[in-house]
Amino acid sequence: MVKLAAKCILTGDSAVGKSALAQMFCNDGAHFQKNYTLTTGVELLVKTISVPETSDSVELFLFDSAGKELFSEMMEKLWEQPNVLCIVYDVTNEQSFNNCAKWLEKLRAQTLGMHLPGVLVGNKTDLIGRRVVEQKWAKEWADIHGLQYCETSVKEMENIEAPFHILANSFHRLYREKVETFHSLV
Amino acid sequence: MKSTDLCLSSRGSEVVLVTSSDEKYPPENIIDGSSETFWTTTGMFPQEFIISFHKCVKISKLTIQCYLVRSLRIEKSLSKNPVDFEVCTEKDLQYTEGALQTEEFSLPEFQATYLRFIIKSAFDHFVSVHTVMAEGVAENL
Repeated sequence: MVKLAAKCILTGDSAVGKSALAQMFCNDGAHFQKNYTLTTGVELLVKTISVPETSDSVELFLFDSAGKELFSEMMEKLWEQPNVLCIVYDVTNEQSFNNCAKWLEKLRAQTLGMHLPGVLVGNKTDLIGRRVVEQKWAKEWADIHGLQYCETSVKEMENIEAPFHILANSFHRLYREKVETFHSLV
Repeated sequence: MKSTDLCLSSRGSEVVLVTSSDEKYPPENIIDGSSETFWTTTGMFPQEFIISFHKCVKISKLTIQCYLVRSLRIEKSLSKNPVDFEVCTEKDLQYTEGALQTEEFSLPEFQATYLRFIIKSAFDHFVSVHTVMAEGVAENL
């Protein structure tokens, strides 16, 4: 039994629903914040996730990060040594999807070449008539960039745990692989 | 007096603090005299461990065998409790693909009751520490 700890960077354009996603996930859907509050810097939330079919768990340290460019210099310091990555966009806002490349590049620059498991999340799927980013495109883009993909409606509490379970499982797999490597050294 | 490895648990030394641990790869593996067994960190840095000699020892050389450690700081304390640490040495290690990092620190002889190893950063999400050896003599009390 092991409890791993992962620094999870939650990023994406402002107002796509990062804070809502993080908060709904961490308080098990107890409270959906209807009013928008701008995140300045980083808000830290912590939640432990069990890894299926093991007695292991991953404690996710969610760094819910400001989406406004204004804070980007401070972010670089706060994002040092990340373990996993969650990029969120709004399926009704094409610009927020196009900017995912920029967020990914910023984060990958922090990792100095090591593999960073990541997930791309399309949020606000409840706004059916206003959708402009097709699931197919987004999934293709995620595949090309080595990210897993899922869609959520934080408002309707749909699929909000999925991205974090994906990340916890990926991180756990990395640990197992690394331990195998440690064994093979001697 | 013959110089020996003062860190060995068989000589009474003990890891008294560790910031992460997997029960399959416990910190005791660092001081069991074998480089086949190891301690793993379980995510996020910095990570550290403290070895207690349970007595005052005089150390002339330190050796660590580990993997994927990037930046390491070693501190010593002469107190009865693990407090008041002072920096011994600090080093950025080389990446050694597929082979253990073996790092020797030849230092001016110093006294200590505790050694603290701080892994500040790494080449990957996790590192392993296989052995720590401290050559020197136990002081006569």
